[in-house]
Amino acid sequence: MPDIPHMPPTRLLTAVPICDGHDSAVNTVNLEFIRHGFEVVYLGYHRPARDIVRAALQEDVRAVGISSYNGGHVEFFTEVLRLLAEAGAPVRLFGGGGGTITQADAKIMEQRGVDRIFFAGTPLREVVAYARGISEEAFSGPVEMPPSYSDRALGRALSALERGLPGASAAPTGATRVRPAVKTLRIGVTGPGGAGKTTLIDELVLRFLHAFDSGSRVAILSHDPSLPGGGALLGDRATMIYSQHDRVFMRSSATRGQAGGVNATTECASDYLVRTGFFEAVLIETVGTGQEAIPFGAKPGYVDRMILVLPPDYGSRLQLQKIAMLDVADCVVVNKADRRGAKTAVSELEARLRDREDGVSLFLTQANRHRDAGVDRLFESLFRRCVKGA
Amino acid sequence: MSSLGQVVSVIREYRQYVQEEVRRVRQDSGYAGQVMSRWAEIKAQIGTARTPTGLELPRLALPPYDEPGEVLRYLLEGGLPGEFPFTAAAYREQYLEPGEAMPPGVNPAPASSPEEPTRLFAGLGLPEDTNERFHYLSRNQRSKRLSTAFDGPTLYGVGAAADGVFGKIGEGGVAVDTIDDMERLYAGFNLDQPQVSVSMTISGPAPILLAMYVAAAKRRFGDGVLAQLRGTIQADVLKEVQAQNELIFPVEPSLRFLADMVDFCARAMPRWYPISISGYHIAEAGATPVQQAAYTLSNGFAYVEYFRNRGMEVNAFGPRLSFFLDCALDIEYVALARVCRKVWAIGMRDVFNADRRAQLLKLHTQTSGRSLIAADWKNNLTRTAIELMLACMNATNSCHSNAADEPFTTPSEEYARYAAHAQAILLEESGLFRHMMNTLPGSPGMRLVAEAVEQAVLEEFESIEEQGGVLGAIERRYQRSQIQAAAHTLERQIYDGRRPLIGQNRYGNGETVWPDHAMTRTPAAKKQLHLDRLNDFEKRHAGESERCLDQLSEAVAKGRNVFAELINTVEHCSLGQITGRLCEQVGKFRPLV
Repeated sequence: MPDIPHMPPTRLLTAVPICDGHDSAVNTVNLEFIRHGFEVVYLGYHRPARDIVRAALQEDVRAVGISSYNGGHVEFFTEVLRLLAEAGAPVRLFGGGGGTITQADAKIMEQRGVDRIFFAGTPLREVVAYARGISEEAFSGPVEMPPSYSDRALGRALSALERGLPGASAAPTGATRVRPAVKTLRIGVTGPGGAGKTTLIDELVLRFLHAFDSGSRVAILSHDPSLPGGGALLGDRATMIYSQHDRVFMRSSATRGQAGGVNATTECASDYLVRTGFFEAVLIETVGTGQEAIPFGAKPGYVDRMILVLPPDYGSRLQLQKIAMLDVADCVVVNKADRRGAKTAVSELEARLRDREDGVSLFLTQANRHRDAGVDRLFESLFRRCVKGA
Repeated sequence: MSSLGQVVSVIREYRQYVQEEVRRVRQDSGYAGQVMSRWAEIKAQIGTARTPTGLELPRLALPPYDEPGEVLRYLLEGGLPGEFPFTAAAYREQYLEPGEAMPPGVNPAPASSPEEPTRLFAGLGLPEDTNERFHYLSRNQRSKRLSTAFDGPTLYGVGAAADGVFGKIGEGGVAVDTIDDMERLYAGFNLDQPQVSVSMTISGPAPILLAMYVAAAKRRFGDGVLAQLRGTIQADVLKEVQAQNELIFPVEPSLRFLADMVDFCARAMPRWYPISISGYHIAEAGATPVQQAAYTLSNGFAYVEYFRNRGMEVNAFGPRLSFFLDCALDIEYVALARVCRKVWAIGMRDVFNADRRAQLLKLHTQTSGRSLIAADWKNNLTRTAIELMLACMNATNSCHSNAADEPFTTPSEEYARYAAHAQAILLEESGLFRHMMNTLPGSPGMRLVAEAVEQAVLEEFESIEEQGGVLGAIERRYQRSQIQAAAHTLERQIYDGRRPLIGQNRYGNGETVWPDHAMTRTPAAKKQLHLDRLNDFEKRHAGESERCLDQLSEAVAKGRNVFAELINTVEHCSLGQITGRLCEQVGKFRPLV
């Protein structure tokens, strides 16, 4: 038998079209996919075609699945196909819906290039069998630097890096930085699950989009845990309402067996994105981490700023003594300031951080509140040196 | 403790109270005498019905109890229609044919007015298309009950001009972007007359749509029409977060806009139901019947608590709340709505000090869309008929039955007609409901199901309460995750056959023979026409719209009643313009997944 090279899990992206909130079917299918070892980037519901295609390119998925219920599917799928073709991406498109997609519609959609339409009542195993037929492709290196910004090229490059191919060491030729003098700010965001990291990052991105000029970009590397069977639900995009934007590059990764909050190639991916010169900032979000985690390395680590996000209900005061990140984080954020115990948390943390001599700042935020002043302060402290007029 | 914890307490106390009263009446002969003479009085007041076959029957069926303990338990547990806690029915008589003259001293029941429970749900294409369908469906109806479905761009408040939504204009519902569209939608109906009522199935942008409706009605019938307008708007923010995902603004401002609208309606539109607290979409998203009941009722109590905390008077807005439940084929539906009425009445009386009118859970039921399948789809006629029967056994106040071809398309005229006729067959042609109240309730099975459901609902309330009440549980995604887990279980049961679906996983090969009638679709030319109209509207009002939006923003910022302001805003601004401005100001809803 010839050696079969180890292939990582197949990456799929699922979404529900704009003006459609019927996510019951897609949730069920997502669970089935991850149970069978797929990595599923879930974009959520009410998503325009442009967002779906942008995400598919950035995430470099092999196939996109769209669950459409309330009509307009022929136009919508056609638009997704058109945008994928425009980007030159050989991404397969499949979909399904309630009974609203007729056989006649399906025929038209398949003629236009949709791979497969599943009708209501299709057994889940058939959907899984279809996805099994889609496999990750082999890569040959080395990883190149795209001469100009391209979601697809960056998405492909990160996949190649994940396979361990050597990355291009030089900055791209001809790439023009918006602010050549400023180096890309690398920000690591970690904290326990449920602290509100994703929401906080989305709110920081919103402020970034307002504060920086229209030529500047931000990148996000987000992480979710792999299940023992290899599958993973990469769902951060689904709750991000501002980060689906032409000026935001986002990549969702599974930990693939790596402990500590990120995966084996995160540092490499971050370096690569920095070296492209396209981004003002790279934000790295870990999975929900435990007390012992120091995901970005001991100081100085591979990020410029480490943010630890905690909810007010971290337990007793004693628990704070055990959280290793409290000894290395540059910013500690108590999120969910509206929860009971937020004030206690702030004063206990102040006490815990008092002995740190290297300077650490504490923020109280309520990221799920529109225009939260705490998030404003955090943003200003992170980007002070970059923001116009500052 | 949130109000929900108090509701659990008062329901338990009420059970205790019934037991103690039953014990007491069995020991106290004076008390027993009072109860038995009341029982005799009740019996004496029951009128007589005569069937077409000549049979004489009482208009209300009572159990043959002659022991004061059992009689008292029956009375206190709501066996009598129209009496606290309204387990049997909200009103003394529902569905009955007008009978012989009442004995002297009996007040005519509110629901014995000839209100037909049938609602005609429609929404397709452009406003004039839906208008035409309304006229077609209601041409033989004494009363015109127009229930409106909106298309995706309207439900999400993005408007037809938003990027990438062109294909969705007029699909699955009607496209409404402006006050002009709203005028076309109900043209030719006398909205100021009691025979006409309108309901709108929309939640996220509900205050904007109702403002358009009010402003359009004022154009046609003058300022005085507000007090005459009858109908319901769904406006259920909480179930959107839990199940249906059609929310535009974050929960807090959404609740504030809703409260402004409810407050306005309670004052100026006494015949309008400004909220329909809905379990339908929760059940359709895959929830179990108990989850449907528990989440719907708890959402209802959360609204009451929120409105009360804003200083609104419970007896002013309480009677204007209405409910909307799904009815599918599970056995829980034998008694689900009965339990809901009882829990609501006790909670409203004993936690919120609501008066009788505010204790009534007024219910609209829709048969389950989810239960209808594509395989051998004409079986859906039978499914819907059984669900209708269950809904009427539960004394729903109004009902919508789904068309059999719904798994494929917006219902065709033919199957929409069969759906409406199914109700007429059940309530008018069959003798089951038109001669006698309580023909079926009281069976041992119904009682047992009711007890089991009530117990399970209280346990769900406790789980929600543990997480800080409804809003706290929402933030922790409790209801959503429970619903999703139930949906997943349901799917697996369908695939492994534990849930038989006749024609799909049993007695059939699961193949779908598609209906041969044409699918209802909106042609591209019509979509373009709608878009042109919208652009034209925005162009015509360009001089005014910015000023109106600024005024709206000011009302939001200064805490004035936003609904009152919206009635002015919609004169010059489109749906998309208004939601766009409000999103800038209060933020967007962040989906929970």
